[in-house]
Amino acid sequence: MRNENTHPSDQELLMRADGELPRGAVAAVDAHLTACWNCRARMAEVEAKIAEFVRVRREGLDPTLPPSAGSRAMLAAQMAELSKAAPRRMRWKTASFFADWRFTAACAVAVVLLAVALAGLKRENQVAVASAYGAELPDRRLTPGATRQVAIGEICAVNHEDVVSLVPDTVRHEVFQEYGIRNAPADKYEVDYLIAPGLGGAEDIRNLWPEPRFDATWSSFVKDQLEEYLHESVCGGKLSLQTAQNDEARDWIAAYQKYFHTREPLAGDSKASAQRAAWILEPWASVLKL
Amino acid sequence: MAITPAISIGELALRAASAHESVPERPEIEREVIELFDQNRNSLLRYALSFGLPAHDGEEVAQETFLALFRHLQMGKSRKNLRGWIFRVAHNLALRKRECNQRAAAQTESHENRAVELIDPGLNPEERVLFSQRQQRLMAIVQALPEQDRCCLDLRAEGLRYREIAAVLGMSLGAVSMSLSRSLARLIVEEQR
Repeated sequence: MRNENTHPSDQELLMRADGELPRGAVAAVDAHLTACWNCRARMAEVEAKIAEFVRVRREGLDPTLPPSAGSRAMLAAQMAELSKAAPRRMRWKTASFFADWRFTAACAVAVVLLAVALAGLKRENQVAVASAYGAELPDRRLTPGATRQVAIGEICAVNHEDVVSLVPDTVRHEVFQEYGIRNAPADKYEVDYLIAPGLGGAEDIRNLWPEPRFDATWSSFVKDQLEEYLHESVCGGKLSLQTAQNDEARDWIAAYQKYFHTREPLAGDSKASAQRAAWILEPWASVLKL
Repeated sequence: MAITPAISIGELALRAASAHESVPERPEIEREVIELFDQNRNSLLRYALSFGLPAHDGEEVAQETFLALFRHLQMGKSRKNLRGWIFRVAHNLALRKRECNQRAAAQTESHENRAVELIDPGLNPEERVLFSQRQQRLMAIVQALPEQDRCCLDLRAEGLRYREIAAVLGMSLGAVSMSLSRSLARLIVEEQR
């Protein structure tokens, strides 16, 4: 058993500070710490180093953490999608349960009823699948974003709008298929580039997704505002092309909120609104940590 | 021959319902995952970033981890120590992601540039300036620690208890305690030099 006159090791001091010391040893270490200035100073040194490490680590990492709202929404959408794709199987407690003929008969009746119900619900189901994919952010597994080799001079030689190219019908069809969308109204989605061509985005299925056009807060029109702003910022030397591409691919809604200093999409003329917001907030950005 | 006792339809339904209770309904699982996301997302992300990953890769690791958690719960698997579980998954994903990045970087970047990335993950030039020399030195010492020691330190900084760290990294409790103590002693000694 530990003697209270014995100096605790560094490991024991840390375990005491972390509340990880075995219950029987706590009293002796505490009694020793009360009596010994040296060990109290060592303990304080350990605690101070822990505090410094935690502070430095947070200061280094926290500014790099992207906002969680976009990821949270994406996670919820992905879970809903996964649930639809693979409905949860019911677990049964005993094998004998399956052996019971009544259960088997009940299952057979249920299967027939289910088949009838499914046939009737087929159309509604297709619409439901389509609406599940009407997400404001793309599924990152299907649309991580893809770029082509471009020079800044090349993309800045023309206006952002002039770089936008129409997606061929065959590719549009592929994108809808990939997202499991069937029978969606023609004007419901815009097959849009995740990274805009004006920012070096490639015409690649990994860079295209069905974006809601009208019935969404964060519609394709809002994304256009962001792209216009990013294009001007890159060409104006305020932003690197890589940052613009990353921001758009990672979470375009979060990027919009960051650059336009707003939680909600701005109404009206995008360029004027963004410039106004940036002009008003720029001097305060560093103070407010925007 | 043993006779199977007769079971009424009511009993069948009751059995089905009781079997159902062991795995919560889907919306309940989704709510639970979102709750765990809210509680742990930033910690998990910081831990992933401590592997030297860029922010978007770290975010991908966190996202994949919570999706894996969803599948784990959906399949009715163990709910014991879920925080430890998600950190273990994130640890493995972050290692894999870093390996991929390093392979890609080996083709395009010099070794020197990569070393800087590892010391100073995801900081832009402005943030690098703000990061004082002393802070940089401390983080450089941490990055130079053996990988397992650094992981112990980062996990502890995210609030994991020794038994949780042991489970994440597949170590014994004693080894976790020794590792943390050794790393802190190293930080103290290096600073005094």
